[in-house]
Amino acid sequence: MIRTLIVDDEFHAREELESLLLETGEFVITGKCANALDAMKAIKKEKPDVVFLDIQMPVIDGFEFLGMIEEELMPHVVFVTAYDAYALKAFDENAIDYLLKPVEKDRLTKTIHKLKKSIDAGHRPAIYSNPEIKRIPCIFHNRIKLINVSDIEYVRSSQAGIYVVCPPGEFYTELTLKVFETRTNFIRCHKQYLVNLDHVDEIILHEYKQAEIKMKTSKLVPVSRRYLKILKEKMAF
Amino acid sequence: MHVFLHLIQAMSIFIVVAYLYCKSPWFKPLTTESLSSKDKIYLYFFFSAISIMGTYMGLPVQDAIANTRAIGPVLAGLIGGPLLGTAVGFTSGLHRFSYGGFSAFSCGLSTTIEGTMAGIVHLYLIKKHRSESIFDPRIAFAVAFVGEVIHMAITPVFSRPYADAVELVKVVAIPMTVSCSVGAALFVSIIRDQKNTYDRIAAVSSGKAFQIAQRSLNILSRGINQQTATDLAKIIHEETGVGAVAITDKEKVMAFIGCGSDHHLPGSFIASPLTKQAIYENKVIFIDGIDNQYVCPLSETCPLNSVLVVPLQIDDEVIGTIKLYEPRNTRFLNINKSLGEGITNLLSNQLLISRYQMQKNLLLRSELKLLQAQVNPHFLFNSLNTIISILRNDAARARDLLIHLSMFLRNNIKRVNDISTLEEELDQVKSYLKIEKARFEERLAIEMNIDPNLLKQKLPTFTLQPLVENAIKHGISNMLEGGTVRINAYRLNGSTFIEIEDDAGAFQGEIGNGGLGIKIVDKRIKALFGNDFGTVLSCVPSELTKVTINVPMEAS
Repeated sequence: MIRTLIVDDEFHAREELESLLLETGEFVITGKCANALDAMKAIKKEKPDVVFLDIQMPVIDGFEFLGMIEEELMPHVVFVTAYDAYALKAFDENAIDYLLKPVEKDRLTKTIHKLKKSIDAGHRPAIYSNPEIKRIPCIFHNRIKLINVSDIEYVRSSQAGIYVVCPPGEFYTELTLKVFETRTNFIRCHKQYLVNLDHVDEIILHEYKQAEIKMKTSKLVPVSRRYLKILKEKMAF
Repeated sequence: MHVFLHLIQAMSIFIVVAYLYCKSPWFKPLTTESLSSKDKIYLYFFFSAISIMGTYMGLPVQDAIANTRAIGPVLAGLIGGPLLGTAVGFTSGLHRFSYGGFSAFSCGLSTTIEGTMAGIVHLYLIKKHRSESIFDPRIAFAVAFVGEVIHMAITPVFSRPYADAVELVKVVAIPMTVSCSVGAALFVSIIRDQKNTYDRIAAVSSGKAFQIAQRSLNILSRGINQQTATDLAKIIHEETGVGAVAITDKEKVMAFIGCGSDHHLPGSFIASPLTKQAIYENKVIFIDGIDNQYVCPLSETCPLNSVLVVPLQIDDEVIGTIKLYEPRNTRFLNINKSLGEGITNLLSNQLLISRYQMQKNLLLRSELKLLQAQVNPHFLFNSLNTIISILRNDAARARDLLIHLSMFLRNNIKRVNDISTLEEELDQVKSYLKIEKARFEERLAIEMNIDPNLLKQKLPTFTLQPLVENAIKHGISNMLEGGTVRINAYRLNGSTFIEIEDDAGAFQGEIGNGGLGIKIVDKRIKALFGNDFGTVLSCVPSELTKVTINVPMEAS
């Protein structure tokens, strides 16, 4: 059975796809999400084998969404869309397959065949060669707030999750530190911290090779011994 | 008595001069409303000459001259104002002074005073908005009369010996006063009559031109073809009264009305070398029938012998000609010649405008087609997908949605009329929203607040649809939590306002087709109702995007 996540902003589209997938008897539906943020959460939690992904979605479209998922969690991707203007791009993104709505059963059978082949062969899902992430979706008062990467001072991880810190405050995000590390220009300075060098004021060196980063807003970010050397190199180029 | 007769003789010469003047091209300025400085300089020379002539043609009386010098400055002052009057008076006065004699100074002075006085009367009449009285012979008479009385009064004051001056005045006072006053009055009355004739001719010809223009413009807006050309030729023929009128394109005669129509047949190729020349050289050709004869190339018995050929052009490109003919026994009137040229120019302009309008309409139409063609695969397939899904659980609803979808599609394809009522527009929008509501379910709320009195309001077809589509496509569908589309229609200050708003507030400058859609709607409203109407877009980011349509209210 293939563990599957369905992501589509339209309710009936999710229902229809779920029915179609269940009818084949090949799938377990681990979740149905109406937007990219919920989908990110579901992927982290359920780690599905495959995601059936709509491209046109509010705020963060399917392509941008894939750029925000870290490599280890990346499922296989089948794009499902109403209109084939995106077909070429979808295949550039190395999707396993590309379905048009309304989805036809025979066509879906082919998709299943491809999927199974890939999974059985133990192929890792393709890496999405997305360009740098420019904006980070955060949750703020139950609404989604998009924060420009350049406005973020640093990112920290805590028991409660990942927070981006910027001058107006801290915001919770579903993105992982790993994603920040690989898809933005932020530098790791601590196991739990990534820092945006553009906002750094100075590095304060203490005794015993201890150090702290002072941001331009005077906020202090811890630097662990392990990353200090790398950080110094980066700062001096 | 001798003096009197002599002065009447001199005065008569002035009347002849006045008559000749009125027939000369230098008279032209007086037919217009205001005089340029150049005109005034001409008038200065003319009236100074008249005045000096008055001195020369005077009769020597007792070492002085009985004369009609006063007529010049009085007329100059009345027609041209104080400056011109004084200048003429002073010039002529100076001349008289140089002539010598015991009354030289008083004569010179009084001539100047008369000019100035007439100028003051001119100013007074202008100020009282009675400028038409400037050419009133009674006023001229009165001014000359008073001027001469002053002249006579100051002669004994400044001339020595006093007794001689009194004696002189006794002899010349009555003849001079009478002849100057009558002379000035007659002179003015000749000018006035000639001026009226000019005005009347101008009025008649501009009246004709207006008639033709008014009657022809409507016809031309239908473009130029055999039918409209015939209608046009009829109008020109009727209004000008010329013998015959023809309209050609570059190759053929499109219409011929009037005498000679038995052998000048519409549809035949242009036979006249004159017409070909007019087309080829893009110039007006006139054969007056006196020095040159028009010889009909088609028939020896053709009665026509004078012709005016005026090229009809669009954008400097000749597209045909308009021809006016007169038969052998009728002179080709100048007024018809200028009318013919004027009308052709007017028609050329009109053709240019209607071609421009046509192109503009074509452009709008093709843009509209584009907009319609955008019914938009994304919407269509998502709708079908939605309906297929609903079909699993609720066949009745699926059926209802399919009917709305077909209505929507049919309307999109079949609505060919350019103008719809608000009601028709709303029907289309309702079908559309019904489907979108099914797609987005609770993410889409719809509020309509329509003044029922406005349902018959006329709008360009496809005014609402693109705007509502924008509100959903670029607005609501991009909101995670969903939003509301509102459509309001109300009256305010004699206009009808229709608002389409969404609470996404996502509009940023030109969003692809969103921007284009609004622009086309705006253009089409302006094309239908004029530039005072159209669409206005306002946006509060993340809160509201609102398009307000403003159209004139239907008379109910």
